[in-house]
Amino acid sequence: MASVDMVGIRKEFGSSVALADFSLSITSGELICLLGPSGCGKTTALRILAGFERADAGRVLVEGRDVAGEPPERRRFGMVFQDYSLFPNMTARQNIEFGLKVQKKGPVERREVVDRMIDVTHLGEHADKFPHQMSGGQRQRVALARAIATEPRMLLLDEPLSALDAQVRETLRDEIRRLQREFGVTTVFVTHDQHEALAIADRVGVMSQGRLEQIAAPRELYERPVNAFVAGFIGTVNRIPARAGAGGRWQVLNRSVDGSEPGLPGAEGVVAVRPEHIALDHIALDQGSLARWRIEATSFLGPVTRLVVSGNGPVQMIVDLPSTDAEDFSLGNLVDVRLRDDVGHVTVITAEAVPSVVTA
Amino acid sequence: MSTETIVVLAPGPVPVGEPDQASRRSLKPAGALKAAFLIAIALYVAIPMVAMARFAFQNVPVALLSPDKILTGWSLAGLWTAISDPGIIAATRTSLLLVVLAIVLNLALLLPLAIVTEVRSPHLRPILSAITLLPWVIPPIALVVGVAATFRATVPWFLASDYSLVPFYALWAMPFTYRALDAGLRAINARTLYEAARSMGASLGTVIFRVIVPNIGAAIVAAAALTAAMVLGEFAFASLLLKRTLPTEMVNYQRSDPRGGLALALLVMLLTALALGLVVRSLRRRGLDVQTTGL
Repeated sequence: MASVDMVGIRKEFGSSVALADFSLSITSGELICLLGPSGCGKTTALRILAGFERADAGRVLVEGRDVAGEPPERRRFGMVFQDYSLFPNMTARQNIEFGLKVQKKGPVERREVVDRMIDVTHLGEHADKFPHQMSGGQRQRVALARAIATEPRMLLLDEPLSALDAQVRETLRDEIRRLQREFGVTTVFVTHDQHEALAIADRVGVMSQGRLEQIAAPRELYERPVNAFVAGFIGTVNRIPARAGAGGRWQVLNRSVDGSEPGLPGAEGVVAVRPEHIALDHIALDQGSLARWRIEATSFLGPVTRLVVSGNGPVQMIVDLPSTDAEDFSLGNLVDVRLRDDVGHVTVITAEAVPSVVTA
Repeated sequence: MSTETIVVLAPGPVPVGEPDQASRRSLKPAGALKAAFLIAIALYVAIPMVAMARFAFQNVPVALLSPDKILTGWSLAGLWTAISDPGIIAATRTSLLLVVLAIVLNLALLLPLAIVTEVRSPHLRPILSAITLLPWVIPPIALVVGVAATFRATVPWFLASDYSLVPFYALWAMPFTYRALDAGLRAINARTLYEAARSMGASLGTVIFRVIVPNIGAAIVAAAALTAAMVLGEFAFASLLLKRTLPTEMVNYQRSDPRGGLALALLVMLLTALALGLVVRSLRRRGLDVQTTGL
C-alpha cells in the first residue's frame, strides 16, 4: 500500500497530446476512478503509472520516491486489463500462483495465498478450470485475484468491466470495491462509465483532452461540478440562461443562488441545472395566457419520472420528479418551472466578463 | 426572471455501446456453379496426378497407355528399386537432417524477434513483415552467387559442407514462418499477456518461455511443418550449390530411371501431404487454432 503522486506529467504520441500537465495525488488505501471519454488520456495515465509508457515530462512518485527508472516488473503494481489477460495455458489456480512463483515464494506459502485468494473471490468450483472454460466475469475475478495475490503496492484496473454484460458488471464492481477495502490496496480504476465511477470510487477524476478537469468525491462532483465539461459528462444537465445580481449571485429561474464562479452584477450567463433540481407547479387554466411551459413528454423510469417541458418556441427542459409526485402531472398540462428551494449552487457554463446591459 | 427566458437542453454524454453489427448477407453463388467450380479444380489437380501415377506405376509403354488399359500392368517394382538406391537413401538422410537444422535455426532467429516485436514495439511489425518477405524478392541464383562468393572468401570449408544449405533454407522459410508466428501471437493477444506478466514481476525471459511460447504451440508447429515441407521440395539452392539432397538426387535418379524417379516423387509428395495433415489434425485435437497459423 502506498501513496502515489503524478506530478506535471506530459505525454505525446506523435503530434497528439495524450496528457498535458497531468497531476494526481493518491493517498494510501484510496480508490480513485479516472473517468472520461475515449481518447481523454486516462489509459495513458494508467500505463505511465504502471511503467509501460514513459512520460515525456513530469514525475511519478511512490511514497515520495521517483520511480521513473523502474521497469514495470520492479514497481510491484498489480494490473487488470479490459481484455482478459489470463494465461490460456494455465488453470485459474496456476494463473493466481504465477506471480508468487516469480517472486520465488515457497510452495507452502504459495498454496496458502492461492487458497485465500480463491476463497475471497468465490472461485472455489472454478479453481482448476482453464480460462476458456470460464465466463467473462469469472475470468476477471481470476485476473483480480492474480493481481492482488502478489501484494502489490498499488492496483491498476484498466476498464476491467467493460467487456462484461450489465448484470455481471454491477456485481463485480461491488466485489472489486469490497476486495479493495479488505486488502486496503491503493487503487486506480480507469473507466468511461460514470455510474461505475460514482458507485465505487472514493474520489473520481474527470478527464478531458489530457487534463484532469476535476477530482472530487462522487457526491461533490455531481452536485458541484466546476465547469461545463464536468457538468455535462456526469449525469444530465439543462443549460439555463441566468443573470448575475448583487454580490455576484446568479438569478436562475426566479431564484438567487451561488454560482461556481461569481458574476459581475448585470452579466448574462448560462448555468447548468440538474433535471432533479427543478420543481413544477400547476397553473390554472384561466391563467393560461401567462403560462410559459407545457409538458410535452413523460417517461417512467422507475423511482423517477422524466418530464420534458417546453417553453415558447423550440426551447425544452428536462425535469426529473419522484414518480409519486409526477402522478400529479400529465401530458399537455401547463406548468410553472422553478429551481427547488434546497438548491443553493449552480455551475456556471458561460458568463460575460462585462455586462452588456447595465440596469439602473 | 424576464419573459425572454431561453432554455436549451444539453444532452448527456453519448453512451458508449456495442459497435453496430451490420448484418452481413453472405453471397452464395448458385449451387450448380459452385459444384462446377469445384469439379473443375479437382480435375485440374487430379488429371496430372493420375497421369503421373500411370506413368510411374503402370508397366505399359507410354504409347499404349489408352483408357481401356487402365487396370493392366500395375506394379510397385520401380518404386522399390528407387527407394533402395543408395544415392537416394543418403540424400534422404541429408534432407531430413537439413529439415531439422533449418527448423531450429529458423525458429531460433524468428521466434524471439517476432515475440519481442509484438510485445514491445508493435509499430515495427510492418517493417519486420516486409523484411521477412525479402528472400522471395531476391532470386535464388542471386542469393547463391552473393552468399557463395562471401563464404568462399571467408569460410570455404563451410561452402563444401552439406550444412551450408541450412542458412539458405532458414532464410527461405522466413516468409512462411514469420506469418505463422505473427498470426499466433496476435491470436493470443500476446501484448496484454506480456504486460500482465511483467506487472507481476516476471522478466522478459520468463514471459517468453513460461507464458508466450506455451500458448503459441500451434503456430510454432505450423512454422516448423511449413519449413519442413519447403526444405523437402527445394531444388534451386541445392542444385546451384551442387548438393545431393532428396530433390536433386531425385532429378539425377530420374535421368536413369524415369518411371522409378516419378514414383519416388509421388511418394515424397504423398508423405509430405500426409505429415502436414497429421500435424493439422493433432493441433485441432488439442483445441489449437489452426486457422490463424497459415497451415
